[in-house]
Amino acid sequence: MRIVRFVVRRLLQLIPVLLGVVVLTFLLVRVLPGDPIRTILGPNATPEDAAAARARYGLDQPIVKQFLDYLGGLVTGDLGTSIQSGTSVGAEIGLRIGPTFELVVLALAVALVVAVLLGVWSARHADRAGDHGVRLTALVGNSMPEFWLGLVLILVGYSVLGWFPAPSGRVDPDTNLTPLTGADLLDAALTLNGPAFGSALAHLILPVATLSIVVVAPLLRSVRASALEVLHSEPYVAATAHGLRGRTLLRGYLLRATLARLPSLAALVFGTSIGSTVLVEYVFSWQGFGQWALRGLLYRDYPVVQASVLVIAFCYVVVFLIADVAQAVLDPRVQI
Amino acid sequence: MLQLGGGVALLLATGCAAGSKPQGANAPSGTAPAAASSLRIAVSSYLSSWDQDFVGFDLTALMLYKNVYPYLIDYGVTDVDGAQILDTTNITPTFAESFTPSADQKVWTLKLRKGVKFASGNEMKAADVKWSKDRAFAAQANVAGVYRVIGLTEPDQVKVVDDYTVEFTQAFPSALTPQIQAISLYVFDSVEARKHATDADPWAKEWFAKNPPTGGYFNVEKATQGQEIVLAANTGYPGPDPAKTPTIRISVVPAASNQRLQLQNGDIDIALGVSKRDIADLKKAPGVKVISAPSNQQVTLQMSVTTAPFDDVNVRKALAYAVPYEQIIANIYGGDARPAKSPVPLDMPGYDERGYPYTYDLEKAKAALAAAGKTSVTSELVFEADNEEQQQLAVLVQSEARKAGIELTLAPLDPATLAERRQKRSVPLQITSGQLWVNDVEYMLATSLVKGANLNYSNYSNPEIEKIYEESHTTVDAAARGELWAKVQEILAADVPWVVVCQPNFNLPVRENVAGWVQPMDGLARLRHLMPSA
Repeated sequence: MRIVRFVVRRLLQLIPVLLGVVVLTFLLVRVLPGDPIRTILGPNATPEDAAAARARYGLDQPIVKQFLDYLGGLVTGDLGTSIQSGTSVGAEIGLRIGPTFELVVLALAVALVVAVLLGVWSARHADRAGDHGVRLTALVGNSMPEFWLGLVLILVGYSVLGWFPAPSGRVDPDTNLTPLTGADLLDAALTLNGPAFGSALAHLILPVATLSIVVVAPLLRSVRASALEVLHSEPYVAATAHGLRGRTLLRGYLLRATLARLPSLAALVFGTSIGSTVLVEYVFSWQGFGQWALRGLLYRDYPVVQASVLVIAFCYVVVFLIADVAQAVLDPRVQI
Repeated sequence: MLQLGGGVALLLATGCAAGSKPQGANAPSGTAPAAASSLRIAVSSYLSSWDQDFVGFDLTALMLYKNVYPYLIDYGVTDVDGAQILDTTNITPTFAESFTPSADQKVWTLKLRKGVKFASGNEMKAADVKWSKDRAFAAQANVAGVYRVIGLTEPDQVKVVDDYTVEFTQAFPSALTPQIQAISLYVFDSVEARKHATDADPWAKEWFAKNPPTGGYFNVEKATQGQEIVLAANTGYPGPDPAKTPTIRISVVPAASNQRLQLQNGDIDIALGVSKRDIADLKKAPGVKVISAPSNQQVTLQMSVTTAPFDDVNVRKALAYAVPYEQIIANIYGGDARPAKSPVPLDMPGYDERGYPYTYDLEKAKAALAAAGKTSVTSELVFEADNEEQQQLAVLVQSEARKAGIELTLAPLDPATLAERRQKRSVPLQITSGQLWVNDVEYMLATSLVKGANLNYSNYSNPEIEKIYEESHTTVDAAARGELWAKVQEILAADVPWVVVCQPNFNLPVRENVAGWVQPMDGLARLRHLMPSA
């Protein structure tokens, strides 16, 4: 029950946080230099034409009215109309968020599994050649810019070896995948579309690998450090001295204590991953949320920028909430 | 209209394809190989909207519009030195039967062919033309802007005579009418559109933002948002030069290096977003050829004649003498550009380089600066932040201008900031690159060099130029227009609002079996001419 109360309390705290984000984003995007209207008009458009376009998007109204209209729209679930495309921002998010989420969640899952396995293994083999090798490899991966790493993986995986599909999308359009969530692998599974599932999986491998390699290092270092701490702790040493079996030591004493710190770090890494997707999506022609938000920012597409920041803020808050709950479950010392 | 967009503009200006079998090291995995009757084209971005009137001003969209909207008249094709180019002097009816002027050239009559249908099965009629042009005027954007140049400003000037006849009554005759209408006279399926119109949205903007128009040279068979557009040749097209390739697949590949790899591997037939450096390498790649042709794309340095230090003509002349023209062509364009000696593009009727004095000469640059009573001046040099070519150019110009006493601070700007500053005319010096969509000096003046023109970033105004511009509206004789344009160039050489750097050639990397490329003078590829060679 305590956890439920905690979750409800944190969800209620979402409201003022998101309201603050809404106000700040609305103001900041308008403070930035740049005209969102001129880029959708022809070169022969007059100031009167520009004024008419501004009126179409309500940008001729006093800023307070613009804000109240925006807020009113949010309450009814209307995120506005994109200035660049003329379509509903909500519908565009629906198309863009799924692919990015799929990419980030899979990359983070792969990175977490690798970090836990290698981190614990490294700690148990601390200061040996294998440990140094793992740490060095993770460090190198973390040091490589994601766009460069992506290009190298494409060059090798697609161009030289021919193992992976051309980096020109997320799934073969000829598989006629019916989009449900926008996450192609999930949609293929839900619609039982085998060819689309295979195609989506093949298209996912390189971008997921790129993102995982980039984010795995901090997770691995954290797991290794925590595991070393546990390995040198009195309870673990005592358990070892009592002659407990290796499997019991690992499961009962090492893993849970080691993983207790991981959720909050994973939440931070999730945020980093969202940022990294901008470049990964560009390199792999992914057409996800990151590229959409970036284009909105470059062209000062106010409704797009406002909505994308709001979505990112919402994700952050929710992911940290999940991390806090996970940590509480893993570490009984944590009171929530 | 002038298309300003640097490298992207150039790349999109080209375009198209050949149905080739995948070649190279690997067969494409994940996707079915292109059949011999189809072509695959890579572009850098997905189009922003299918609505040509209200939004949609990115280059992918503009190129697609030319191929999927039914344009009632269009440019013909001519052969120049073995290369096929769009013939801007030969405007021919396509979906229309004829488009003819009255004796005073103020009233143009459009006759439609009977039996031409949109994909919905609705017949294309005069009411569609009227609805479409009313919509364009209501949008107050692209077409409404360009129509002003030929004296069309009100919906009432477009009248339905009968089911297959429409009259356009201009405020004045204009030699530009055929070219302006060639880029503006596209129609919507108004019967279908009305089904999606509401009181709040009488022009069905919401519907057309998401749904492709039908009835052009191609119909959109399938559009996978953000990823791929499949075009199918419109077999109901009644005019000359129908689409030669049944299916064209346009896939979005933002990274230029990926386009190069996919072209080399045979996964695409045409790459519309490859960098100059990659193009140089691709010239030697097996299975790939680079189509090269002279282009009317101009690279210029535009100075604000109302902002210090360029409000002094001698300072403008000093910069014109300080630009290392030959070095730029050799180092930035690898020799693949033509030197230009006039603000009028090289292949535009009326080009005349007589009296254009500017070459790279630092002594003359210093002398011009001295004539302005200065030994040194400072200014910012603005360019597009994501444009590698402009960045290289800015660095070279900065380096040489400094030797003449002109100290330039480089200022890369994002698209929205650049658009705003251009609109405010607050840029003292900027790099522009682009090409005119209408190949005519009157149009160039209208868009770029008369008072209040939207692309007049120099804020330039000269009473003689204004007078010539007014006179040109009603001057339809080619020789007489030529005389006007010679005078224009003489004045511009003296006033120097622009430093014309060069005209880069057009380069398009394609698979070896791509044929039928027609060089567009407006920079927007016409895909109907493309075909896979035997």
